[in-house]
Amino acid sequence: MTTTDVDQTAVGELPGRRRLAVGAVGVVFWAWLLARWASHNTLLDRLFTALGAPNLVQSELGVRQREPWLPAEPFQAASDGVADVAASLGPASVLLEWLAWLFDLAAFATTIGPQLAAGAFVTVYLTVLSMLLGLLLAVPLSVARVYGGPVLSRISLAYTELIRGTPLLAQLFFLYFGLPLAGFIDSFGFVGSGGVPRAAVFVAIVGFTINSSAYQSEYIRAALQSVDPGQLTAARSIGLSKLQGIRYVVLPQGLRFAIPGWTNEFVYLIKYSSLAAFITVPELFRRARNIGSDTFQFTDVYVIVALFYLALVLTTALAMGKLEQAVAIPGLGRGADRD
Amino acid sequence: MTLLRVEHVDKSYGDEEVLHDVSFEMQRQDVEVIVGPSGSGKSTLLRCVNRLTEIDDGAIYLDGEEIHALDENELRRRVGMVFQDFNLFAHRTARGNVTLGLRQVLGMPREEAEATADDYLERVGLADQAESYPAELSGGQQQRVGIARALAMEPELILFDEPTSALDPELIGEVLSVMRDLADEGTTMLCVTHEMGFARSAASRITFLDDGRIVERGPPETLFEDPEHERTRAFLGELAGIQ
Repeated sequence: MTTTDVDQTAVGELPGRRRLAVGAVGVVFWAWLLARWASHNTLLDRLFTALGAPNLVQSELGVRQREPWLPAEPFQAASDGVADVAASLGPASVLLEWLAWLFDLAAFATTIGPQLAAGAFVTVYLTVLSMLLGLLLAVPLSVARVYGGPVLSRISLAYTELIRGTPLLAQLFFLYFGLPLAGFIDSFGFVGSGGVPRAAVFVAIVGFTINSSAYQSEYIRAALQSVDPGQLTAARSIGLSKLQGIRYVVLPQGLRFAIPGWTNEFVYLIKYSSLAAFITVPELFRRARNIGSDTFQFTDVYVIVALFYLALVLTTALAMGKLEQAVAIPGLGRGADRD
Repeated sequence: MTLLRVEHVDKSYGDEEVLHDVSFEMQRQDVEVIVGPSGSGKSTLLRCVNRLTEIDDGAIYLDGEEIHALDENELRRRVGMVFQDFNLFAHRTARGNVTLGLRQVLGMPREEAEATADDYLERVGLADQAESYPAELSGGQQQRVGIARALAMEPELILFDEPTSALDPELIGEVLSVMRDLADEGTTMLCVTHEMGFARSAASRITFLDDGRIVERGPPETLFEDPEHERTRAFLGELAGIQ
């Protein structure tokens, strides 16, 4: 298989050398991020402590605080040096000033990297968990919508329209401030201690799951409706019940068709998960905002955090493209012949 | 011994009457061919027999039992169907298409189901294509998988709904030859088809349906050589002329 006819994602479409360069940046970024997560992971720390190797992973509660692994000084020195040269050249030095700013940004990034890595960890598990839990809700919702008869399909439609018709932030506020949900979650003793996140994180997952399930069910509904009705007829003609036909014949095909739309929702949720910041969840955006408040370098921190989001989104698009290829039905290629 | 008895069946879609007072009987091992112009209700009649479509009035008996008294899944297990557009499960291999019913309807263990599926694929000449997906098969091969899928459930009766109409002319022969083998082996078949060669050589009876009514019914010799009605002669003559 050649790369051009199988990869449709932005990164995958790049020709050989550029693709390699983007891939290399991606590998370095993820290696750093995963190493950061591993070395500051409270759960891993407890696990290794329990296994008798307490020093293998040092969590944020452990010996070392979050310190940058890369020193900021060389970048800062380079920035200062370039700025000095720029100053001596006078007004003709716009490009050099830009270069100085880039070095300055790099120095800043090394300083705030550890905090952003911790935020990205929350963003990633918030998004992935909500997507998967949302999928568990979305499948029955979409099946009810398409095959549920007048009552079930209307209930499903009402749910979907209610959730899609109200702002996500309002839903989060309602769940967090309006309902006694957070207090209820806090009443479980293990919440908020020993590596288990605080109640706000659980509320955010509940909120994103509900919200995402509505959007996902719409994508899956469209995909189910694109499965040839003859497929279910054939399933029923050999004696399968309607539910069996849906489970063994319609859903396996429909869910494959839903992957592109599902990817879209995944990418949206990565970015919309930043709304959890407003109910105090320490995810990527909230950390960035806090860093901005501390340093007043809002522009710099938001540029850096935008690159984090971009990396997460591109990775997701790439991974989902691979998933789509992996589950493609032989002979049909990327769902081409689905009329 | 009577296997299928259709009594005074009426069926309408809205104001449009599709079947009107249709009655006939089939014995075990009969091959009944239904012919008629498009829109004459042939496919509807077939779908009424396995309740993919519900009749408005009348009764249909399978081996003496009224089919509406049977569980519809049980009825469909006993009455197989082969479709014009094949309708193979697109995400399953040829073998997977046959095993689905064996596993989920008959509750056969996986290995037994696969062995059974391979036997039936061999019967339709596709032993070497068990691992192929529908999109990788020709139309004729897909239809033969469709026949294997229906056969594997060991139905008492198989309905064929224009099984060769969607096929390129050069692929029709392989499907008809499988159907002829089935007829020779004593499979009870109710076929909607325009293949007059098959009708002439394999059918025990031919029914000419027009405008939802049975115009004429009889053994092939009678209908082809000496039909009672001018309409039958005209229609069959036209079909024969095309082929």
